[in-house]
Amino acid sequence: MPAFSPINSKMLQAPVGPGQELYSKRGAMLAYVGRVRFEPSVTGGAGIGGAIGRAMAGESAPLMHVTGQGSVMFGHGGLYVNVIELQGDTLYVEADRLLVYDASLQSGTMFLGEQGGLSGVIRGQMTGQGLFTTTLSGHGSVAVLSHGGVIELPISPQRPIYVDPQAYVAHRGQVTNRLKTSMGLRDMVGRGSGEAFQLELSGHGIVYVQASEKKI
Amino acid sequence: MLAVDLMGETIRALNGSMVAYDGQMNFKRQGMTGGEGLRGALRRRVAGESMTLMEITGQGTVYLASEATEVTLIPLQGDTLFVESESLLAFDGQLRTGVQFTGLRGMGTGQGLATTKVEGHGMVAILSDGPAIGLEVTPGVPLCVDPHAYVAHRGQLQQDFVTDVNWRTVLGQGSGESVQFRYQGHGLVYVQPAERGGGIMEI
Repeated sequence: MPAFSPINSKMLQAPVGPGQELYSKRGAMLAYVGRVRFEPSVTGGAGIGGAIGRAMAGESAPLMHVTGQGSVMFGHGGLYVNVIELQGDTLYVEADRLLVYDASLQSGTMFLGEQGGLSGVIRGQMTGQGLFTTTLSGHGSVAVLSHGGVIELPISPQRPIYVDPQAYVAHRGQVTNRLKTSMGLRDMVGRGSGEAFQLELSGHGIVYVQASEKKI
Repeated sequence: MLAVDLMGETIRALNGSMVAYDGQMNFKRQGMTGGEGLRGALRRRVAGESMTLMEITGQGTVYLASEATEVTLIPLQGDTLFVESESLLAFDGQLRTGVQFTGLRGMGTGQGLATTKVEGHGMVAILSDGPAIGLEVTPGVPLCVDPHAYVAHRGQLQQDFVTDVNWRTVLGQGSGESVQFRYQGHGLVYVQPAERGGGIMEI
Protein backbone atom coordinates (compact mmCIF):
# COMPACT_ATOMS: atom_id res chain seq x y z
CA MET A 1 0.00 0.00 0.00
CA PRO A 2 1.72 3.24 -1.03
CA ALA A 3 1.91 5.67 1.84
CA PHE A 4 1.44 9.39 1.84
CA SER A 5 4.23 11.23 0.05
CA PRO A 6 5.17 14.74 1.16
CA ILE A 7 5.32 17.33 -1.64
CA ASN A 8 6.96 19.91 0.60
CA SER A 9 6.89 20.54 4.32
CA LYS A 10 3.32 21.83 4.20
CA MET A 11 1.63 19.71 1.54
CA LEU A 12 1.27 16.01 0.92
CA GLN A 13 -0.08 13.73 -1.76
CA ALA A 14 -2.11 10.63 -0.97
CA PRO A 15 -3.24 7.93 -3.40
CA VAL A 16 -6.89 6.90 -3.43
CA GLY A 17 -8.22 3.69 -4.98
CA PRO A 18 -10.33 0.64 -4.26
CA GLY A 19 -9.52 -0.47 -0.75
CA GLN A 20 -7.47 2.68 -0.23
CA GLU A 21 -9.86 5.20 1.23
CA LEU A 22 -9.11 8.16 3.42
CA TYR A 23 -10.66 10.31 6.07
CA SER A 24 -9.51 13.92 6.07
CA LYS A 25 -10.20 17.21 7.74
CA ARG A 26 -13.12 18.79 5.94
CA GLY A 27 -11.99 21.37 3.39
CA ALA A 28 -8.32 20.41 3.51
CA MET A 29 -8.21 19.19 -0.11
CA LEU A 30 -6.03 21.40 -2.31
CA ALA A 31 -6.09 19.57 -5.62
CA TYR A 32 -6.73 16.14 -7.01
CA VAL A 33 -6.11 14.00 -10.08
CA GLY A 34 -8.55 11.35 -11.28
CA ARG A 35 -12.09 10.60 -10.20
CA VAL A 36 -12.29 11.31 -6.51
CA ARG A 37 -15.39 11.83 -4.37
CA PHE A 38 -15.58 13.76 -1.13
CA GLU A 39 -18.43 13.06 1.23
CA PRO A 40 -18.96 14.67 4.59
CA SER A 41 -18.57 12.07 7.26
CA VAL A 42 -19.92 12.29 10.76
CA THR A 43 -18.67 9.01 12.06
CA GLY A 44 -15.09 9.18 10.78
CA GLY A 45 -15.02 5.40 10.71
CA ALA A 46 -15.79 5.05 14.38
CA GLY A 47 -19.39 3.87 13.99
CA ILE A 48 -22.56 5.48 15.27
CA GLY A 49 -21.67 4.85 18.88
CA GLY A 50 -18.30 6.37 18.31
CA ALA A 51 -19.83 9.40 16.62
CA ILE A 52 -22.14 10.04 19.55
CA GLY A 53 -19.23 9.58 21.88
CA ARG A 54 -17.19 12.07 19.89
CA ALA A 55 -19.97 14.61 19.79
CA MET A 56 -20.41 14.35 23.53
CA ALA A 57 -16.68 14.55 24.07
CA GLY A 58 -16.27 17.66 21.99
CA GLU A 59 -13.59 15.85 19.96
CA SER A 60 -15.55 16.31 16.77
CA ALA A 61 -13.52 18.01 14.11
CA PRO A 62 -15.54 17.77 10.89
CA LEU A 63 -14.19 15.04 8.62
CA MET A 64 -14.80 13.96 5.08
CA HIS A 65 -14.58 10.54 3.48
CA VAL A 66 -12.42 10.45 0.35
CA THR A 67 -13.08 7.65 -2.15
CA GLY A 68 -12.54 6.99 -5.85
CA GLN A 69 -9.50 6.49 -8.01
CA GLY A 70 -6.66 8.96 -8.25
CA SER A 71 -4.49 11.01 -5.97
CA VAL A 72 -5.33 13.92 -3.72
CA MET A 73 -3.19 16.75 -2.35
CA PHE A 74 -3.86 18.00 1.15
CA GLY A 75 -2.75 21.00 3.17
CA HIS A 76 -4.28 23.32 5.72
CA GLY A 77 -3.66 26.90 6.75
CA GLY A 78 0.03 26.91 5.83
CA LEU A 79 0.73 24.59 8.75
CA TYR A 80 3.48 22.00 8.72
CA VAL A 81 2.42 18.45 7.87
CA ASN A 82 4.05 15.37 9.36
CA VAL A 83 3.35 11.82 8.28
CA ILE A 84 3.39 9.17 10.99
CA GLU A 85 3.33 5.48 10.03
CA LEU A 86 1.48 3.18 12.36
CA GLN A 87 2.41 -0.51 12.56
CA GLY A 88 -0.22 -1.94 14.80
CA ASP A 89 0.32 0.59 17.57
CA THR A 90 -1.85 3.44 18.75
CA LEU A 91 -1.43 7.15 18.20
CA TYR A 92 -3.00 9.65 20.60
CA VAL A 93 -3.69 12.99 18.94
CA GLU A 94 -6.04 15.94 19.19
CA ALA A 95 -8.89 15.73 16.66
CA ASP A 96 -8.27 19.21 15.25
CA ARG A 97 -4.64 18.36 14.48
CA LEU A 98 -5.57 15.44 12.21
CA LEU A 99 -5.19 16.33 8.54
CA VAL A 100 -5.74 12.98 6.84
CA TYR A 101 -5.53 9.30 7.76
CA ASP A 102 -6.10 5.89 6.17
CA ALA A 103 -9.68 4.71 6.48
CA SER A 104 -8.31 1.30 7.44
CA LEU A 105 -7.20 2.72 10.80
CA GLN A 106 -9.55 2.36 13.72
CA SER A 107 -10.37 5.66 15.28
CA GLY A 108 -11.80 6.13 18.70
CA THR A 109 -12.13 8.56 21.50
CA MET A 110 -10.39 8.07 24.76
CA PHE A 111 -11.41 9.60 28.01
CA LEU A 112 -8.30 11.04 29.52
CA GLY A 113 -9.49 10.10 32.96
CA GLU A 114 -8.73 6.50 32.04
CA GLN A 115 -5.11 7.43 32.04
CA GLY A 116 -4.11 8.88 35.30
CA GLY A 117 -7.52 9.17 36.91
CA LEU A 118 -8.32 12.54 38.38
CA SER A 119 -5.03 14.07 37.39
CA GLY A 120 -5.82 13.16 33.77
CA VAL A 121 -8.98 15.18 34.02
CA ILE A 122 -7.09 18.10 35.49
CA ARG A 123 -4.49 17.74 32.76
CA GLY A 124 -7.18 18.00 30.10
CA GLN A 125 -8.66 21.07 31.72
CA MET A 126 -5.37 22.83 32.28
CA THR A 127 -4.00 22.26 28.82
CA GLY A 128 -7.21 23.27 27.12
CA GLN A 129 -7.36 19.98 25.26
CA GLY A 130 -10.64 18.91 26.76
CA LEU A 131 -11.05 15.68 28.61
CA PHE A 132 -10.97 13.48 25.54
CA THR A 133 -8.42 12.71 22.90
CA THR A 134 -8.64 10.84 19.62
CA THR A 135 -6.92 7.50 19.21
CA LEU A 136 -5.93 5.88 15.92
CA SER A 137 -4.76 2.29 15.81
CA GLY A 138 -3.92 -0.31 13.19
CA HIS A 139 -1.66 -0.29 10.16
CA GLY A 140 -1.51 2.80 7.98
CA SER A 141 -0.46 6.42 7.70
CA VAL A 142 -1.59 9.49 9.59
CA ALA A 143 -0.78 13.10 8.74
CA VAL A 144 -0.85 15.58 11.61
CA LEU A 145 -0.73 19.37 11.51
CA SER A 146 1.66 21.43 13.55
CA HIS A 147 2.73 25.02 13.84
CA GLY A 148 6.38 25.20 12.89
CA GLY A 149 7.16 21.53 12.36
CA VAL A 150 7.56 18.79 14.93
CA ILE A 151 10.44 16.93 16.49
CA GLU A 152 10.18 13.36 17.72
CA LEU A 153 11.48 12.73 21.19
CA PRO A 154 11.87 9.10 22.27
CA ILE A 155 10.65 8.23 25.74
CA SER A 156 12.26 5.46 27.74
CA PRO A 157 11.65 4.41 31.34
CA GLN A 158 14.97 5.90 32.41
CA ARG A 159 14.35 9.08 30.48
CA PRO A 160 10.97 10.69 30.96
CA ILE A 161 10.25 13.71 28.78
CA TYR A 162 8.66 16.92 30.01
CA VAL A 163 6.65 18.88 27.46
CA ASP A 164 4.99 22.28 27.51
CA PRO A 165 1.27 21.41 27.23
CA GLN A 166 0.78 23.97 24.47
CA ALA A 167 3.62 22.52 22.38
CA TYR A 168 2.41 18.92 22.72
CA VAL A 169 1.10 17.49 19.42
CA ALA A 170 0.70 13.72 19.75
CA HIS A 171 2.22 10.64 21.30
CA ARG A 172 2.36 6.90 20.67
CA GLY A 173 3.35 3.79 22.56
CA GLN A 174 2.94 2.70 26.16
CA VAL A 175 3.08 6.09 27.73
CA THR A 176 1.57 7.43 30.89
CA ASN A 177 1.13 11.12 31.22
CA ARG A 178 0.92 13.23 34.28
CA LEU A 179 0.66 16.95 34.84
CA LYS A 180 3.62 18.30 36.73
CA THR A 181 3.40 21.63 38.41
CA SER A 182 6.27 23.66 39.62
CA MET A 183 4.26 26.51 40.97
CA GLY A 184 6.13 28.68 43.32
CA LEU A 185 5.63 31.89 45.15
CA ARG A 186 6.85 33.75 42.09
CA ASP A 187 4.01 32.38 39.94
CA MET A 188 1.47 33.52 42.50
CA VAL A 189 2.64 37.09 42.32
CA GLY A 190 2.74 37.04 38.51
CA ARG A 191 6.46 36.77 38.13
CA GLY A 192 6.64 33.17 36.98
CA SER A 193 8.96 31.79 34.35
CA GLY A 194 5.98 30.88 32.17
CA GLU A 195 6.73 27.19 32.68
CA ALA A 196 4.58 26.41 35.69
CA PHE A 197 2.86 23.42 34.08
CA GLN A 198 4.58 20.61 32.30
CA LEU A 199 3.34 17.35 30.93
CA GLU A 200 5.44 14.45 32.18
CA LEU A 201 5.46 11.51 29.77
CA SER A 202 7.03 8.29 30.92
CA GLY A 203 7.13 4.72 29.67
CA HIS A 204 8.03 3.49 26.18
CA GLY A 205 7.15 5.50 23.12
CA ILE A 206 7.56 8.69 21.15
CA VAL A 207 6.17 12.15 21.76
CA TYR A 208 5.77 14.71 18.98
CA VAL A 209 6.48 18.30 19.99
CA GLN A 210 5.94 21.38 17.83
CA ALA A 211 8.18 24.43 17.66
CA SER A 212 5.57 26.81 18.90
CA GLU A 213 3.15 27.31 21.71
CA LYS A 214 0.24 28.10 19.43
CA LYS A 215 -2.89 25.98 19.21
CA ILE A 216 -4.53 25.24 15.88
CA MET B 1 13.74 24.88 17.39
CA LEU B 2 16.84 24.89 19.57
CA ALA B 3 18.17 22.05 21.70
CA VAL B 4 20.52 22.99 24.53
CA ASP B 5 22.53 20.39 26.46
CA LEU B 6 23.11 21.50 29.98
CA MET B 7 25.56 20.04 32.48
CA GLY B 8 24.82 22.19 35.43
CA GLU B 9 25.41 25.46 33.58
CA THR B 10 22.99 28.33 33.40
CA ILE B 11 21.46 29.85 30.31
CA ARG B 12 19.04 32.72 30.00
CA ALA B 13 16.07 32.38 27.66
CA LEU B 14 12.87 34.13 26.69
CA ASN B 15 10.15 33.62 29.28
CA GLY B 16 7.89 30.70 28.37
CA SER B 17 9.97 29.50 25.40
CA MET B 18 10.54 25.93 26.70
CA VAL B 19 8.66 23.34 24.66
CA ALA B 20 10.15 20.14 26.10
CA TYR B 21 13.00 18.83 28.24
CA ASP B 22 14.43 15.72 29.81
CA GLY B 23 16.51 15.35 32.93
CA GLN B 24 16.35 17.75 35.82
CA MET B 25 15.62 21.37 34.99
CA ASN B 26 14.89 24.43 37.02
CA PHE B 27 13.12 27.44 35.59
CA LYS B 28 13.36 30.70 37.41
CA ARG B 29 12.18 34.04 36.22
CA GLN B 30 14.84 36.64 36.35
CA GLY B 31 14.60 39.46 38.75
CA MET B 32 13.69 42.97 37.78
CA THR B 33 17.22 43.92 36.93
CA GLY B 34 18.05 40.96 34.70
CA GLY B 35 21.65 40.92 35.89
CA GLU B 36 22.20 44.46 34.66
CA GLY B 37 22.02 46.18 37.98
CA LEU B 38 19.59 48.86 39.04
CA ARG B 39 20.88 51.40 36.54
CA GLY B 40 20.57 48.90 33.71
CA ALA B 41 17.01 48.11 34.67
CA LEU B 42 16.15 51.77 34.76
CA ARG B 43 17.70 52.39 31.37
CA ARG B 44 15.78 49.46 29.97
CA ARG B 45 12.51 50.76 31.37
CA VAL B 46 13.15 54.23 29.95
CA ALA B 47 14.13 52.82 26.57
CA GLY B 48 11.09 50.58 26.29
CA GLU B 49 13.40 47.65 25.44
CA SER B 50 11.83 45.46 28.06
CA MET B 51 12.49 41.77 27.90
CA THR B 52 11.39 39.03 30.20
CA LEU B 53 13.93 36.29 30.65
CA MET B 54 14.13 33.15 32.69
CA GLU B 55 17.16 31.34 33.99
CA ILE B 56 17.41 27.66 33.17
CA THR B 57 19.76 25.46 35.16
CA GLY B 58 20.05 21.71 35.38
CA GLN B 59 21.25 18.50 33.81
CA GLY B 60 19.83 17.27 30.53
CA THR B 61 18.51 18.65 27.27
CA VAL B 62 16.06 21.50 26.99
CA TYR B 63 14.22 22.35 23.76
CA LEU B 64 13.38 26.00 23.15
CA ALA B 65 11.16 27.53 20.47
CA SER B 66 8.93 30.52 19.98
CA GLU B 67 6.03 30.99 17.58
CA ALA B 68 7.50 28.62 15.00
CA THR B 69 10.17 31.15 14.01
CA GLU B 70 13.64 30.20 12.81
CA VAL B 71 16.57 30.09 15.19
CA THR B 72 20.08 31.24 14.28
CA LEU B 73 23.09 30.61 16.51
CA ILE B 74 25.76 33.28 16.76
CA PRO B 75 28.99 32.52 18.63
CA LEU B 76 30.47 35.56 20.33
CA GLN B 77 34.19 35.78 21.03
CA GLY B 78 34.46 38.85 23.12
CA ASP B 79 32.67 41.05 20.61
CA THR B 80 29.28 42.71 20.88
CA LEU B 81 26.02 41.78 19.20
CA PHE B 82 23.27 44.35 18.79
CA VAL B 83 19.83 42.80 18.58
CA GLU B 84 16.23 43.80 19.16
CA SER B 85 15.03 42.43 22.49
CA GLU B 86 12.07 40.77 20.75
CA SER B 87 14.45 38.78 18.53
CA LEU B 88 16.44 37.29 21.40
CA LEU B 89 15.66 33.66 22.27
CA ALA B 90 18.45 32.45 24.53
CA PHE B 91 22.08 33.03 25.45
CA ASP B 92 24.81 31.74 27.71
CA GLY B 93 24.52 32.72 31.33
CA GLN B 94 27.91 34.42 31.42
CA LEU B 95 27.16 36.87 28.61
CA ARG B 96 26.42 40.43 29.64
CA THR B 97 23.45 42.36 28.34
CA GLY B 98 22.77 46.04 28.18
CA VAL B 99 20.85 48.73 26.40
CA GLN B 100 22.25 50.80 23.57
CA PHE B 101 20.52 53.98 22.49
CA THR B 102 20.18 54.20 18.75
CA GLY B 103 18.45 57.49 18.28
CA LEU B 104 16.24 58.14 15.32
CA ARG B 105 16.68 54.73 13.79
CA GLY B 106 14.43 52.90 16.23
CA MET B 107 11.78 55.60 16.09
CA GLY B 108 11.14 55.07 12.45
CA THR B 109 10.70 51.35 12.64
CA GLY B 110 8.54 51.29 15.70
CA GLN B 111 11.13 49.39 17.67
CA GLY B 112 11.80 52.00 20.26
CA LEU B 113 14.76 54.27 20.73
CA ALA B 114 17.12 51.60 21.90
CA THR B 115 18.40 48.17 21.14
CA THR B 116 19.80 45.41 23.28
CA LYS B 117 23.49 44.57 23.25
CA VAL B 118 24.97 41.26 24.25
CA GLU B 119 28.69 40.94 24.85
CA GLY B 120 31.21 38.42 26.12
CA HIS B 121 32.17 34.88 25.20
CA GLY B 122 29.41 32.40 24.40
CA MET B 123 26.50 31.50 22.20
CA VAL B 124 23.47 33.64 21.39
CA ALA B 125 20.32 32.27 19.74
CA ILE B 126 18.27 34.81 17.83
CA LEU B 127 14.80 34.49 16.32
CA SER B 128 13.86 35.45 12.80
CA ASP B 129 10.78 35.10 10.66
CA GLY B 130 12.29 32.73 8.09
CA PRO B 131 15.98 31.79 8.06
CA ALA B 132 18.28 34.74 8.77
CA ILE B 133 21.32 35.38 6.61
CA GLY B 134 24.47 37.13 7.74
CA LEU B 135 25.64 39.79 5.27
CA GLU B 136 29.22 40.92 5.51
CA VAL B 137 30.09 44.59 5.53
CA THR B 138 33.64 45.64 4.62
CA PRO B 139 35.12 49.14 4.51
CA GLY B 140 34.23 50.81 1.23
CA VAL B 141 31.29 48.53 0.59
CA PRO B 142 28.36 49.85 2.61
CA LEU B 143 25.27 47.69 3.00
CA CYS B 144 21.70 48.97 2.87
CA VAL B 145 18.98 47.06 4.69
CA ASP B 146 15.23 47.39 4.93
CA PRO B 147 14.53 48.45 8.53
CA HIS B 148 11.74 45.90 8.83
CA ALA B 149 13.96 43.01 7.75
CA TYR B 150 16.85 43.92 10.04
CA VAL B 151 17.41 41.48 12.91
CA ALA B 152 20.82 42.07 14.43
CA HIS B 153 24.33 43.25 13.74
CA ARG B 154 27.82 42.86 15.16
CA GLY B 155 31.22 44.39 14.65
CA GLN B 156 32.45 47.94 14.12
CA LEU B 157 29.58 49.42 12.19
CA GLN B 158 28.21 52.91 11.77
CA GLN B 159 24.58 53.18 11.03
CA ASP B 160 22.73 55.91 9.15
CA PHE B 161 19.63 56.52 7.14
CA VAL B 162 19.15 56.57 3.43
CA THR B 163 15.92 58.08 2.30
CA ASP B 164 14.41 58.11 -1.10
CA VAL B 165 11.29 60.09 -0.40
CA ASN B 166 9.97 62.11 -3.32
CA TRP B 167 6.63 63.42 -4.54
CA ARG B 168 5.49 59.93 -5.50
CA THR B 169 5.90 58.68 -1.95
CA VAL B 170 3.93 61.62 -0.66
CA LEU B 171 1.11 60.78 -3.04
CA GLY B 172 1.09 57.20 -1.75
CA GLN B 173 2.66 55.80 -4.90
CA GLY B 174 5.97 54.85 -3.33
CA SER B 175 7.84 51.67 -4.06
CA GLY B 176 7.68 50.67 -0.42
CA GLU B 177 11.44 50.99 -0.14
CA SER B 178 11.77 54.65 0.71
CA VAL B 179 13.84 54.29 3.84
CA GLN B 180 16.84 52.07 4.39
CA PHE B 181 19.54 51.63 6.97
CA ARG B 182 23.06 51.95 5.68
CA TYR B 183 25.88 50.19 7.49
CA GLN B 184 29.48 51.18 7.00
CA GLY B 185 32.61 49.74 8.53
CA HIS B 186 33.51 46.17 9.31
CA GLY B 187 31.05 43.58 10.56
CA LEU B 188 28.06 41.38 9.93
CA VAL B 189 24.38 42.30 9.56
CA TYR B 190 21.68 39.64 10.01
CA VAL B 191 18.62 40.00 7.80
CA GLN B 192 15.39 37.98 7.77
CA PRO B 193 13.32 37.19 4.66
CA ALA B 194 10.20 38.85 6.05
CA GLU B 195 9.24 42.38 6.91
CA ARG B 196 7.80 43.32 10.25
CA GLY B 197 4.84 45.62 10.35
CA GLY B 198 4.53 48.77 12.42
CA GLY B 199 6.41 52.00 12.71
CA ILE B 200 5.91 55.25 10.90
CA MET B 201 7.85 54.12 7.86
CA GLU B 202 5.12 52.12 6.24
CA ILE B 203 5.61 53.97 3.00
